[in-house]
Amino acid sequence: MGDRPNPRVWALALAVGVVLADSSIVVLALPDIYRDLDTTVFGVTWVLVSFNLVMALAAVPAAMVARRVGPGRSAAVGLAIFAGAGLACGLSDNLETLLIARSIQAIGGAVAVTAALELLPIAVGSERRAGVVWASAGATGAALGPAIGGILTQLVSWQSIFLLQVPVALAAAAPILAIARDEMSTRVIEAEVGRPVGRPHLWANVALAMVSAAIAAALFLLVLLLIEGWLLSPIGAALVVSVMPLAALLGSRIGAWVADARARAAAGALLLAGGLGGLALLPKATVWLTIPPQILIGIGLSLVLSALTETALAGRAPQAIHGGWTISSRHAGVVIGLLALTPVFTHDIAVQQKNAINSGTSVILDSPVRPLVKIGLAEKIAEHLETEDGKVPNLGHVFDPLPEDEGERAEVVQMREELQDQLNAGATHAFSPSFGIAALIGLLALLPIGLARRIEL
Amino acid sequence: MTRARILVAAALIAAVALVGIYAAAGGASYEPVKVQNPCKSRPPEETSGGLEGVAEEITLSALDGAACRLGVTRERLARALATTEAREKFGEEFHIDDERLAKAIRAGLVRAIDDAEERGKLSGIIAGPLRGAVEHIPLAQAIELVQDGKNLFSTAETILGPLGDLLNEFLP
Repeated sequence: MGDRPNPRVWALALAVGVVLADSSIVVLALPDIYRDLDTTVFGVTWVLVSFNLVMALAAVPAAMVARRVGPGRSAAVGLAIFAGAGLACGLSDNLETLLIARSIQAIGGAVAVTAALELLPIAVGSERRAGVVWASAGATGAALGPAIGGILTQLVSWQSIFLLQVPVALAAAAPILAIARDEMSTRVIEAEVGRPVGRPHLWANVALAMVSAAIAAALFLLVLLLIEGWLLSPIGAALVVSVMPLAALLGSRIGAWVADARARAAAGALLLAGGLGGLALLPKATVWLTIPPQILIGIGLSLVLSALTETALAGRAPQAIHGGWTISSRHAGVVIGLLALTPVFTHDIAVQQKNAINSGTSVILDSPVRPLVKIGLAEKIAEHLETEDGKVPNLGHVFDPLPEDEGERAEVVQMREELQDQLNAGATHAFSPSFGIAALIGLLALLPIGLARRIEL
Repeated sequence: MTRARILVAAALIAAVALVGIYAAAGGASYEPVKVQNPCKSRPPEETSGGLEGVAEEITLSALDGAACRLGVTRERLARALATTEAREKFGEEFHIDDERLAKAIRAGLVRAIDDAEERGKLSGIIAGPLRGAVEHIPLAQAIELVQDGKNLFSTAETILGPLGDLLNEFLP
């Protein structure tokens, strides 16, 4: 007997993947949204926070609704709501509309994802296997999200991310609709509804929240550093951060080699903390130096998320409710991570921006270029900063046009490079404390991971 | 050693190694470029020579002098003089009105002319009237002088009349 792909399993995995990818898919689009909707760093953070906050709050109630109404119907309706709200997100032309639509998307998504966990055991034949498929689909979606979002933002627009979710979600909903009509699933659910709801696995869920906070920081801060700090294009940043999902694939292979979930979770948390520590201590503003930390983070997130989700679901019934708790914990962690770290890095960016401006002006005024040329450049920087108030400065074009005299041009080019190095180093350093805090959160997750074995709640 | 222990040990080694290598490579030692004290004298600038060269040198030196008097950095003052808006913002931030700013720039120009004379870049015959010229100029003109040193001698020429033509002759 071969393992022929079951379209229902694929549809359910796709539903889970597309919804959980939505938690991170807009990360690379944030700088574009930030400019298009003319908002602030804090405002644009809420495009991520709103979805994750509503998801955290709605996951457990959504699971209860799914069990009561029937998971097939719930999943289909949830996906339809997710798709409809996605369309609204894609068409929104102001931050308020986008945030409302994102919140509705999260409600639909929460219903679909928790209902999918209720349907998967029937489709795959066992609760344990269902848990693995569900956790893997979620981890894959979350890891792939930023890269897909970045490519779409660059090639089409940030709106296309949401518009593309509409056909994908509807494609997943079609086979699920057939499940809704399935008499057997209805019968099983009727039997399941009567089962008492066990208490959630406290420590596994606490650890999930902590590592999710660290992972959110890794994705969000790295993308901001690449695009706003080092001025990479969204597609360039997407290529850079695609190291993480690739490493996550490697992590899932490594995870399959070790049965002990606690060891996988501990190793994952250590790698995550180490990778974030590496990003906090980048010796130079070079993309290549982000690769080793990203490999550690990618392997780490794959190990720790799947191990903790499996632990939280193992032997607990009903699966949808406990799956709801894991979703709630993960997204609450993302929210806490973003809300705790946003003030830290916006403050650090402001401080570093001042330092970078002073350093930049100093580099210009102390350069061997003719005084009149450099005073002119210093003034152009000032004019530029007036228009870029509060944002990470990009001063590259201040030097155009270059002087006609060859010697002077060489000196100005050298000065431009020195200035760019200063700005890059300043921008990189601005993110260091936030990466450091995220690394600490990842490391502290070892405490609940350690407790998870001894105290089973 | 079990697989579980190998995995945890390998993760720990990888994490510590990465952090250690990045810290050792200078990841923990970023320092922004130090902005110099404008009240301390700097080595003379390399200029294009002649009248224009002297004017360029005086311009930067004047910026230092004015910044020193105002208690700000030369970098901050240079940016403040770029536009009217930048100047207004600077004034609000440091509680410096236009009159105080003009006084500081004039004093900076005088100090720069003194320095140039001391270094033998400007003869006493020129330095004297030039000092007299900059001591009473209005703010807008003072800013123009700092922004573009070439204006310095045209201002002096206007004030000195026919004697201004002799300026180049007296430059060392």
